[in-house]
Amino acid sequence: MAEDAIARGLIAVGAGLAVGIAGIGAGIGESGIGAAAVGATAEDRSFFGLGILFTVIPETIVIFGLVIAFILMFAFH
Amino acid sequence: MILKSKKSSWAYIVARVKVMKRRLIPSEEYRKLLNMDFNEIVRYLEETDYKREIDELAYKYSGPRLLDYALTLNLGRTYKKIQDVSFGVAKYLITEYLRRWDIWNIINVIRGKMAGVSAEEIEESLVPIGEYTIDFYKSLIPKEIDEIVKTFEGTPYYSALSKIGSEPLSIIEDELYKIYYQKLLKERPNEIALKLFMDFIRMEIDIKNIKTILRLKREDVSTDEIMKRIIPGGFEITEREAAKLSAMTWDELIKALEGYWFWKGIEGITDKSISRIEIKFDKAWMEIVAKRAINYPLSILPVLQYIVLKKIEVDNLRTLGWGKWQGIPNEEIEEQLVIL
Repeated sequence: MAEDAIARGLIAVGAGLAVGIAGIGAGIGESGIGAAAVGATAEDRSFFGLGILFTVIPETIVIFGLVIAFILMFAFH
Repeated sequence: MILKSKKSSWAYIVARVKVMKRRLIPSEEYRKLLNMDFNEIVRYLEETDYKREIDELAYKYSGPRLLDYALTLNLGRTYKKIQDVSFGVAKYLITEYLRRWDIWNIINVIRGKMAGVSAEEIEESLVPIGEYTIDFYKSLIPKEIDEIVKTFEGTPYYSALSKIGSEPLSIIEDELYKIYYQKLLKERPNEIALKLFMDFIRMEIDIKNIKTILRLKREDVSTDEIMKRIIPGGFEITEREAAKLSAMTWDELIKALEGYWFWKGIEGITDKSISRIEIKFDKAWMEIVAKRAINYPLSILPVLQYIVLKKIEVDNLRTLGWGKWQGIPNEEIEEQLVIL
């Protein structure tokens, strides 16, 4: 019973790490792109849409993290 | 000076400058501009970034002087904007680089005073960037030249400025630039951003030095005199190299240039006209800068590239404007333009 609880806890921590670390990675990636997007938009408003699109591209990594978290939570539960 | 640079700070300023670069007049437009008359050129510029300055000054001036002052003002404002929107290492390097306009302004004030030009005309020729404000320069204009020199006591420029009266102004200008470059090269590059900046400065010194050597060689100036005007600290043309080059005859000199980093752009210079050779050097220099800026996109190089390109554009438009106003044939104007 106690072992089961530890396993469940570890799965939850794993799921958290999957989303958390993926989020940090995306954040690092987005910092440069976001800065460039703001710079370009400040000069020319027409870059706004494109800027947003490029800025959220690293966000896909968080989706992978989220998928892993779901797999952990539901498949190994 | 230890400065840490973050990728994101470069991304911001580089993206901004790249968008600004898109607004420069494209090279194919110059052909169109060459076929216009003076008023059409001004009207064309009113549809570009120069509109604001032309509108502002149009009530006071007309003709080529309007164009001249509007271009200078626009150049100053553009540089000021780059300086204002940058931060961290980028701001530090850009500010250091733009200090050259201090020399431009100081020399303009002194030259204007010597030539007895009106205070208003001196004011209009000033570029509002660099360490000192326009108000500072305005306060200098009513003063006597001795007093102006005294104001700079304690600054690095004083040693050169104190020679005013005993040496010609062109020599003093050279000395001031030497001081400026020496100050820039004092930094010890401990990171890639600074190293790229230093290399850029050293290459710029090379171009300046080689132009000096060629120009003075054409006028048969002695090696010692040439060496006095050489700026130390070049990338490939060090003082020793410069001494070697300036001791050669013209033909030997042209041959000896083979193998230097700028050789590819100037290959086969048979031209006798020094201004055309200088334009070739400028083009070769800009090509190298463009190539390096592509290799290091997140660095100071794209910003410096824009700063130089903007200066070239303003110079081109000025040449074009004055040329058209004075009715110089198109071919002759075109030869003086740096079209990349």
